[in-house]
Amino acid sequence: MSTVSNIVNWARIKSPWLLHFNTGACNACDIEIIAALTPRYDLERFGIQLKGTPRHADILVCSGPVTRQIEDRLVRIYEQMPEPKFVIAVGTCSCTGGVFKGCYNVKAGIDSAIPVAAYIPGCPASPKAIIDGVVKLLSSLKEK
Amino acid sequence: MFKDLFYILVFPGFAFLSLFALAAEFYDRKLYARLQNRVGPPWFQPLADFIKLCAKEDVIPEAANQNIFKVMPVFVLASVVTASFYIPLWNNTALLSFNGDVIVVLYLLTIPTLGFFVGGWYSSSLFARLGSVRTITQLFTYEVPLFMGILASALLADTWSLSELVSFYSQHGWLWLCNFVGFAVCLLALLGKLEKTPFDIPEAETEIVAGSFTEYSGRLLAFLRLSTDIEMIVGSALLAAVFLPFSFNLGPGLGFILFISKVMFIVSLLSLARTVAARLRLDQMITFCWKILTPLALLQVFINLILKAKLIR
Repeated sequence: MSTVSNIVNWARIKSPWLLHFNTGACNACDIEIIAALTPRYDLERFGIQLKGTPRHADILVCSGPVTRQIEDRLVRIYEQMPEPKFVIAVGTCSCTGGVFKGCYNVKAGIDSAIPVAAYIPGCPASPKAIIDGVVKLLSSLKEK
Repeated sequence: MFKDLFYILVFPGFAFLSLFALAAEFYDRKLYARLQNRVGPPWFQPLADFIKLCAKEDVIPEAANQNIFKVMPVFVLASVVTASFYIPLWNNTALLSFNGDVIVVLYLLTIPTLGFFVGGWYSSSLFARLGSVRTITQLFTYEVPLFMGILASALLADTWSLSELVSFYSQHGWLWLCNFVGFAVCLLALLGKLEKTPFDIPEAETEIVAGSFTEYSGRLLAFLRLSTDIEMIVGSALLAAVFLPFSFNLGPGLGFILFISKVMFIVSLLSLARTVAARLRLDQMITFCWKILTPLALLQVFINLILKAKLIR
């Protein structure tokens, strides 16, 4: 890799901005995601910031199975994010559909609608697991 | 020719201001984190954010007015960099100076607010438009106390040129301490101008996602963020020149360090205010600015009129 792309890659790893999106979760994973962003875990030391708009975000953090109603919105929000973008599925439901799999109103996990870069299982996934997942995703960028 | 280019591009122009602004953003965020008992971001964080945003895709909404949407960040950046030329750094002559440049600097610092308004309005997003309307409403509340506070100190110095104002105060010893009320008023008004936390109503991310910046992404967002950082530096430097005008005769080396520490002192006061206060509602801010800040600024004008009468006698 050339020097410029090295620097750009370094900057990408050091400054991931999150967008949190609930695709139909029971709120447990959302509470844990919010807990991971509080001063106690201090994600800003990795440069992580929570953003309100998909235009500013690099990583879409999804929780919950994809319900049929939210599918269009999920795809639209994913398409509103500028490249390069990554998706993290937090919680068992968003990885596979979990206990809701096979319900009439639910598709399977997040990867049934949009491509997913990292899966963080758990019901709910604890803040430490979420931080670990994000850091693993970022270190996988380093190897490319 | 080369000298002018050097002034505009390197020092005290674009390159110096950008680096200083990124350093100040880091300082602000780190102090904010330490005051919240966190570790905070590493020193290169603002630089990494800037490079990352520059390397991202630029999304321009189809409904937006393409030209205005693209030009506004550059326009904002140019106006804040221009404002810095009129502010004395370490000696009592600024790079450019004429009688009335206080007004020019104040208006050049108003252009970013108007730029955010126009850029947000023409991005044709509901959230951006709401943010724009809030930006412009907020402008009418903090601008009056800010102008009155700064012009009160110019009134005492009997000049509307920043360079002459600085030399007046450095000749008159401790007279600048009399402007304390004006300093407090202007500090709070500057918080409103920079859209920082007690007054971050235009970009309230819990209500209207990111205000006027909602549709901006990639390079355009990087330059908007850079220009808000430079605005913080230039605004703080203006307050430093007007309200902390001491020791402007130390020469380039020491004077430069003193200038940086004065600006950083004001930036730390701003982040302290950001930490201790929660966001106000727009109507609360209007009430606060018109019923508390403006009378206090009037009080400063009154004090300075009395002082001036005493000084002349």
